[in-house]
Amino acid sequence: MHDQQMDPLGRTVTKDEQELLALFRQLERLSQRTDLPPCALMNVKQAMVLMWNACNDLFLISEDPRGD
Amino acid sequence: MTQHWSPYWNPKVETLPKDQLRALQLKKLQTLVQYACTHSPFHRRLYEKAGVRPEQIKTLDDIRRLPFMTREDWMANQAEQPLFGDLITRPPADAIRYHLTSGTSGRQPLRVLDSRKDWSWITDMWCYGFWGFGIRPRDTVFFAFSYGSFIGFWGAHYCCEKIGCLTLASGNMTTEQRVKQIVELGATVVCATPTYALRMGQTAEKMGINLKRDGKVRRVIVSGEPAGSIPAVKKMIEDMWGGKCGDTAGMTEIGTIMVFECEQQPGGPHIIEDHFIEEVLDSDTGEPLPYGQRGERVVTSFGRSFIPLIRYRTKDLVNKVPHTHCSCGRNGDIYEGGILGRTDDMKLIRGTNVYPRAVESVVREHAEIEEFQIILTRTDNVQDEIAVKIELKPNQQDCWPRLRAQLSKDLADAHEGLRFNVDLANVGELPRFELKAKRLQDLRPTN
Repeated sequence: MHDQQMDPLGRTVTKDEQELLALFRQLERLSQRTDLPPCALMNVKQAMVLMWNACNDLFLISEDPRGD
Repeated sequence: MTQHWSPYWNPKVETLPKDQLRALQLKKLQTLVQYACTHSPFHRRLYEKAGVRPEQIKTLDDIRRLPFMTREDWMANQAEQPLFGDLITRPPADAIRYHLTSGTSGRQPLRVLDSRKDWSWITDMWCYGFWGFGIRPRDTVFFAFSYGSFIGFWGAHYCCEKIGCLTLASGNMTTEQRVKQIVELGATVVCATPTYALRMGQTAEKMGINLKRDGKVRRVIVSGEPAGSIPAVKKMIEDMWGGKCGDTAGMTEIGTIMVFECEQQPGGPHIIEDHFIEEVLDSDTGEPLPYGQRGERVVTSFGRSFIPLIRYRTKDLVNKVPHTHCSCGRNGDIYEGGILGRTDDMKLIRGTNVYPRAVESVVREHAEIEEFQIILTRTDNVQDEIAVKIELKPNQQDCWPRLRAQLSKDLADAHEGLRFNVDLANVGELPRFELKAKRLQDLRPTN
C-alpha cells in the first residue's frame, strides 16, 4: 500500500484514493523500465496515463506533467 | 442490476467548496508557472521581460503579475522557429498527436502537439462535459465530424470510448449517409456543430425521414460556434431531433473544452474550474470585470504538458455569473448565454456595433428560414451597408413579404435602429457548412 496520507491541499487521502495512488505509482515505475517487451511496456504506459488521469482529476498529485 | 451513477464525472472536485477550489487552482497555477518557466523558452523570455518570477505567485490574484499570451505572439514564434516554435516544453518525439487550429479566422493555423498524458487529459475534459449532460455507457454516440487535422470532436470521440459508449465515427460520409446511419443504428446522441445539426435535420426532412419519429436521439451535443447557446437555434435543433440540445465550447489552443452545459441547463455552460482559470477582463484595459459584465475570456489551462497556456487572450466575449445560478451543485461558474461572440468579429456599421451572433439570434427566431448570409458592402466609398440574404425552407415562399418586414424590424430593433437590407436568395443558393460556418461576407474595401 502506498503511504501518501495527504493530498496537495493537506487533506487526508481516503483508503480508495490510496489504492489508486499506489496503482499509479506502480505503473509509473513499470513504465520507466526498458527491459519489458513492447507489448507489455506500451500497454503499461497507456494504463499509467489513465491512472494519472484519475489521480490528477481527484487532485491527489500536483507535479511535473511529463513522465509519459 | 441497474447501476446508479453519480451525476458528476468528478463528484469530489466538482462540488468542492469554493475556497478549496481556489486553493487547488493556486497550487496548480504555481506548479504550472514553475514548469513553464523551466521548460519553455517562450515563457521564460515572456516572464523575464515582465520581471516576474514563479515564486512571486503566492495568491490567485498574483496571476495578474503574469503577462498575457496572445495568438499573434504564438504564430510569430512558430513562423520564426518552424514548425512548433520554442513554446513547446518537450521534444516533438515525445508527442503522439498533431493537430491544427481550424483556420476559420483566415490566418495561418497554429500547430499543436500532445503527449500521451496531454491527450488523455484532453479526452477527460470532454468526459466532464458529456457525463455532465447525461451521456452514459448505454449510449450510442454519432460524430458528424470529418476526422481531419482540425482537432474538433477528436477528443470527444475518445471521451465516449472512455465512458464506454458505442462510438460511431462518420468520417467522409455524405450528409444523407450520416442521417441514414443515425437512424439505422439507433444513435441516442449526435455531436455536430449547431449549423450542421440543423443541416442534417433539413436533409432528413428532404429524405422523408422524421427524426423525432424514426430516430432515437435523446441528446444533441454541439460545439464550435457561438450559435450553440442561442435559445432559438437550440429550439430548432430540439424540434428537429426530438432530443435535448446542449452546448460545449473549447479551442484548439487548449485542445479540448473548458465549458459545458449540465443537465439543468441554467442558461449557459459551467467552467471546468479545477482544470482552468478563466478570467473575464476589459479587453481595452486588461482589468478584471465583476460578475455580470461582458468582457474578454483569458484562459489558463492546467492540462497540457507540451503547451503551457497561461493567461491566453482568447478574444471570446463572455458574461460570467456565479455557479449558484444553477441548481446542479457544481462549483464551476457559468458563462451566461455561452460564448457571446468575439472581440474581433464585431463590425461597425454606420456607428453601430454588429455581431454576427446577434444577427443569428434574430434570424433563427423564424422557423421558415433554412439558411442565411450577412453581406457588408460600401456605397460610393462612403456609406456602409448591411444586408441579410435569406433562403427559405421549401414551400415557404408565401410568407416572404410578411417575413421580410418582420425581420427588417427585428434586426433594426436589436441594433439601435440600424437599417438592414433583407433580401431573398434562391433555393440552394447559399453555402452550407459542416464545420464552423462562415456566414459573414465583408466586401468593403480594406483601405
